[in-house]
Amino acid sequence: MGLLERSDWYDLARTTNWTPKYVAESELFPDVMTGAQGVAVEKWEAYDEPYKTSYPEYVRVQREKDAGAYSVKAALERNRLFEDADPGWLSILKAHYGAIALGEYAAMSAEARMTRFGRAPGMRNMATFGMLDENRHAQLQLFFPHEHCPKDRQFDWAHKAYHSNEWAAIAARHTFDDLFMARSATEIAVMLTFAFETGFTNMQFLGLAADAAEVGDFTFSSVISSIQTDESRHAQIGGPALQVLIADGRKAEAQKLVDVAIARAWRLFAVLTGPSMDYYTPLAHRKQSFKEFMQEWIVGQFERSLIDLGLDLPWYWEKMIAEFDYQHHAYQIGLYYWRPTLWWNAAAGMSPESRDWLEEKYPGWNDSFGKVWDVITENVLAGRIDLTLPETLPVVCNMSQLPICAIPGNGWNVRDYPLDYQGRSYHFNSEIDRWVFQQDPVRYRGHMTLVDRFLAGQIQPANLAGALQYMNLAPGEIGDDAHQYAWAEAFRNRPYDKKAA
Amino acid sequence: MTTQNTADGYRNNRVGPVLRLSEITEGVIEAAREDNPGKTIRVDDKIAYVRIDTEGELVLRRATLERTLGRPFKMSELEVNLGSFAGRIETTDDHVRFYYEKML
Repeated sequence: MGLLERSDWYDLARTTNWTPKYVAESELFPDVMTGAQGVAVEKWEAYDEPYKTSYPEYVRVQREKDAGAYSVKAALERNRLFEDADPGWLSILKAHYGAIALGEYAAMSAEARMTRFGRAPGMRNMATFGMLDENRHAQLQLFFPHEHCPKDRQFDWAHKAYHSNEWAAIAARHTFDDLFMARSATEIAVMLTFAFETGFTNMQFLGLAADAAEVGDFTFSSVISSIQTDESRHAQIGGPALQVLIADGRKAEAQKLVDVAIARAWRLFAVLTGPSMDYYTPLAHRKQSFKEFMQEWIVGQFERSLIDLGLDLPWYWEKMIAEFDYQHHAYQIGLYYWRPTLWWNAAAGMSPESRDWLEEKYPGWNDSFGKVWDVITENVLAGRIDLTLPETLPVVCNMSQLPICAIPGNGWNVRDYPLDYQGRSYHFNSEIDRWVFQQDPVRYRGHMTLVDRFLAGQIQPANLAGALQYMNLAPGEIGDDAHQYAWAEAFRNRPYDKKAA
Repeated sequence: MTTQNTADGYRNNRVGPVLRLSEITEGVIEAAREDNPGKTIRVDDKIAYVRIDTEGELVLRRATLERTLGRPFKMSELEVNLGSFAGRIETTDDHVRFYYEKML
């Protein structure tokens, strides 16, 4: 049977706006759900999705993608990756699946909101496929780690993390609630699909895939890069929405949504992808530094496309770029120090060669972050593991839900960015986090960080044991040093000869 | 690399597909050279993904891909391996085009 080409029927089939007879337009498409910002429905009809597909094409292409991902997994199931991989790499897998898998289900709800409440027919159409995509991502990323659960129950956190009050899970939920769960269809198009997906997901799903291939974990490399091919398509929902907003004089509003989304996404990737690339991936298998991947994907590609659509760089551009040099190093120290509160084992990522590499990629590292690692290394070698473990609570940012931290040692720049709002003191990691809060204080004001909850007496007993219980971390799941401190031996009786800055 | 250089990294006009490790990669590179005469096609191979780009505009035609791959090819099949792309995209039944509207 001869079939028409897609272009022969697509525009006609897509024309699905209608005039409601039984209810008012405003009841069918309430502003609070559409986020149309008063842009008339006719203007939304100018929306033209650049990356088109049809249902028959979608089914055929997705079937092929799934066949590829599952057959790579099946072919490599007996390759003893779990037994042979560096423990740091296994920690990356645990962190990834826990932080991402159920977030994909959340993203499916967000896509569904665009499917129902998008004002543009093309947006609803593409979001229908996006919704199916996100379901696929959740299922893949629950199924793939499942084979490891009998061997290591930390892998169970692929499913468990989002149902817990573990601090990183709280940070991820807070971010995703803000970017898409508690947003209108238009805001989701801009914040989730444009800012988060055309921008940052490339870092974790393609950048990290490059490291995975170097490590020899082709199963992980294949599944995450396959997921990114879906993202690459449905991420294009955002661009035309931005064009409609800008054409109707809403550039300032659109810019603000993008700026908030980039600020929030950057924090999450700094704590998840940053340490994975620069500390957890074994040195010999690092394709590029985290900063170099940021340069490639975020600066060179994403920000460039933002300019092309008629937006400006975020007002905090220089500040964020400056953070590329230090924020994830600071988070890495936090992850290591508070390792009992993780669902994966923290990799120190320390060896004389790794330190040389860090100094080369981030000049000045030895005189700043290196000084902290000097002390940790000294304590480990002296058998004083107790001194490398937490006794106090961090000050946690009321926006990112991550510890407030920056550069230690020479170049110290750690400070709190406080704000008093309606009788409560809020604390922020930077001017950027505080600015996000100030854009919509009513939205954020009621949330309590894990430390706020601790101080309010919600976590009992008020000690580490009580905190672990509150975070749902059971024995056998609680994080430890991924290499059982073996890394420190490289420094015994051989003081590290620091490479010059 | 200084912060200033990093901040200016967006000042480029490179566009093109980023393919995952795939059996079509070589054919796409060949088609990119053929379909964009006079342009330098840059290939950056990171094993898990290959970045194929050029200045301003890069077109891939279905007919060319069928020849370089030696088999029938529907344009929509490109999606199976299109992990990402630089620039904007235009998708039709006969070609896909990556481009920027504004040159920096």
